Amino acid sequence: MRNVERLCLAHFWVAFAAFIVAAILGTWQMWVRSPLGANLGAPETYFMSVTAHGTAMAYVLTTFFIMGFGYFVAVTALARPLPGKVWAWAAFWLSLAGTIMAVATILSGRASVLYTFYPPMTASAFFYIGLVLVVAGSWVWSVLMIVAMTAWKRENPGVPVPLAMYGTVANAILWLWTTVGVAAELVFQVIPAALGFVQTVDAGLARTLFSWTLHAIVYFWLLPAYIAFYTMVPRAAGGRLYSDAMGRLTFILFLIYSLPVGMHHLFMDPEHGNAFKFVQMLLTAFVAVPTLLTIFTISASMEIAGRLRGGRGLFGWIGALPWDRPMVLATGLAFIMLGFGGGGGLVNMSYGMNAMVHNTAWVTAHFHLIFGGSVVIMYFAIAYEIWPRLTGREHASPAPLRLQLWLWFVGMMVMTLPWHWLGLQGQWRRVANFNYSDPIIAGWGPWVIVSLIGGVILLASALLFVRNVFDLRSSRAAAADRPLYALAVYPPQRVPAALNGFGLWNVLVLVLMLAAYGYPIAQFIVAPSPGAVVHRVE
Amino acid sequence: MTEPQGLDQPWRIWASAAVVAILLAGALLGGIIIPVVQGQSAGVDAFTAICRAIGILPGSPARPQPLDRNPPSPVSQVVWTPDVLQVLARADTERGRTKVMEVCIACHGEQGVSPAPVNPNLNGQSGAAIYKQLHDYRTGSRSNDQMTAVAQALEEAVIADVAAYFAGQPKRDPNPKTLGGSRPEIVKLVELGDPARGLPPCAACHRPGSGGPIETPILAEQSNEYLVHQLQLFATGQRRNDVYARMRTIAAGLTSAEINGLATYYRAGFK
Repeated sequence: MRNVERLCLAHFWVAFAAFIVAAILGTWQMWVRSPLGANLGAPETYFMSVTAHGTAMAYVLTTFFIMGFGYFVAVTALARPLPGKVWAWAAFWLSLAGTIMAVATILSGRASVLYTFYPPMTASAFFYIGLVLVVAGSWVWSVLMIVAMTAWKRENPGVPVPLAMYGTVANAILWLWTTVGVAAELVFQVIPAALGFVQTVDAGLARTLFSWTLHAIVYFWLLPAYIAFYTMVPRAAGGRLYSDAMGRLTFILFLIYSLPVGMHHLFMDPEHGNAFKFVQMLLTAFVAVPTLLTIFTISASMEIAGRLRGGRGLFGWIGALPWDRPMVLATGLAFIMLGFGGGGGLVNMSYGMNAMVHNTAWVTAHFHLIFGGSVVIMYFAIAYEIWPRLTGREHASPAPLRLQLWLWFVGMMVMTLPWHWLGLQGQWRRVANFNYSDPIIAGWGPWVIVSLIGGVILLASALLFVRNVFDLRSSRAAAADRPLYALAVYPPQRVPAALNGFGLWNVLVLVLMLAAYGYPIAQFIVAPSPGAVVHRVE
Repeated sequence: MTEPQGLDQPWRIWASAAVVAILLAGALLGGIIIPVVQGQSAGVDAFTAICRAIGILPGSPARPQPLDRNPPSPVSQVVWTPDVLQVLARADTERGRTKVMEVCIACHGEQGVSPAPVNPNLNGQSGAAIYKQLHDYRTGSRSNDQMTAVAQALEEAVIADVAAYFAGQPKRDPNPKTLGGSRPEIVKLVELGDPARGLPPCAACHRPGSGGPIETPILAEQSNEYLVHQLQLFATGQRRNDVYARMRTIAAGLTSAEINGLATYYRAGFK
């Protein structure tokens, strides 16, 4: 560590402050949507709360956590000082200012448009400008990550970039590609509309540009979890990484296949031809490949660890793993949630089945299980792993950490499995309240209450997480200086340039994006559709 | 970079080949094979099917629409463009009042309360609703012996003025006392509809004070006879200026007892 502890911790504190507020709001939302709290909140309050919950969880928690984690990896994996630390602090303050601006606008009730940008409904311009500042700060982070890796490669010619840093830079480049869509939508369409410069907006173009960002962004959130799977979990389990090359390939496949697939969010939209929807559906199917590679590689790595610890037989190695260690436990729980969530995702991406679950609670359940479940539980595990390294103090006992992870897993499963079921029965998403006395939907009530119980368990887990982090401040145990990153079974001596950089992959992303989004975006410019009248909610 | 070229070249070739192959496979399946096969069963020729799949021509390759090549005639010429909304927003109620005193007062009253129950009450009605109906009379989308002639004599801007004048007249007062007589099945029809018959609740669009789609009229305190007559016209298809045939579909599914019950309900006003 070279004096970036405060930088990383500042990012983590903002990320998890947003997280705890959003967790409380989320539970409140579950309550007012359930038969127990029916009609206690006005719809305006509900939508304000959903906007704050989504913005805090999806933009603030993720962006700040990923930036802080990236700085940590850049310094520890590369073992060299962070370049441009002043820029990193400037980016932090810029993003924080943007966050405060967006949150203040939401709380004033002038941005209750939820956290997706679907005109013609527009919020106050301050909401969007605040979020643009958050993204601008994250762009600085992306550039710093690329600069750090490039400088390291110059100093270490021919040596493979450490896998953790390779994954982090893959994520930074992915993020730069990802944000182009939403940035174009905000700068050229939504902000002019919100400011009153234009009275109509091309909703189809806006939805298309947002879809460019909408799916790749979830892989931006997901990659830190995968970086932990490949580089930290095998070490935590006491083994070695089965294949370093598989890790590189996984990060590359996420980079190239997470971008040209966003149109699977527009399957029910009329503005695009079936052929482009089909192509993007096919490309979406390929996103499953890096996840399957990861399940295989990490399971193999865990098996190595289990057998080293004396596990025998076909499944004996599973019981021999050190499940008392938070990183190992979180990985096991994350894999289970990834299994359910990934299966649901295959339904979402299939053109025909998508029609049945479109805009139902199924979709909400899916992204809570995948992101809130698999990804965020790994954020916890990463925080538990590196927070002691940042503060120099160790947790007195891992028991509360394990309890917190278990509560998160149980809460997420209890909340989202009934949600999936309700979605199949047709319960709409993004609706403030339901009339459960109506015999047609009365049967939903008990399932909604079950999912509310899951929400309460999640809130308990979120509060326990904060307590665990605060406990660290008063802990007397000094952090042991144990290694963090796993070695591969065959540590890479030299790798092809393709697996040590991103030049080739950026060209392929460009080709895929031109093929998948070229005509679908050009059509709006060649033959503009009638504009929709801007509807300002402020 | 000092990595040997020999190590990297296969990666560049095979990765590019794989990505291009996947793209081509997707384009072939989604752009040619699937639409052509779908088109065959739907009676759409291959070229049209491919153009529809790519998005150059409107429509789906799997459906034979449009059924004929005649341009579709809309049920109403009114489109809520920004220009029309501007005309409504700029309406002059004083000019509207002058025209009402000249023309409308005989059948609809000075303040829009009609003396004869066969004529609708217009006081406090949505301005957009009045505008659309007058415009529809003018263009022939709706017809009535008196109103067609009256509306054809009005200019576009004056229609908006008259609509704004009536919209500004005293709101209809919801009347709790008279509502007590409504039968529970009628209240259920209003509030929940009847999904078994595909009937949405009336209250989904007709709300107190405003409507779902902008042109939806307010029904509270409307005269019984007028409502029954209009529902019958919708049910038989004699009135057909409802966009997407919403009211024709719903009215055709109602029994005459329900039509009478609903007219009584709305005669009474809201809870």
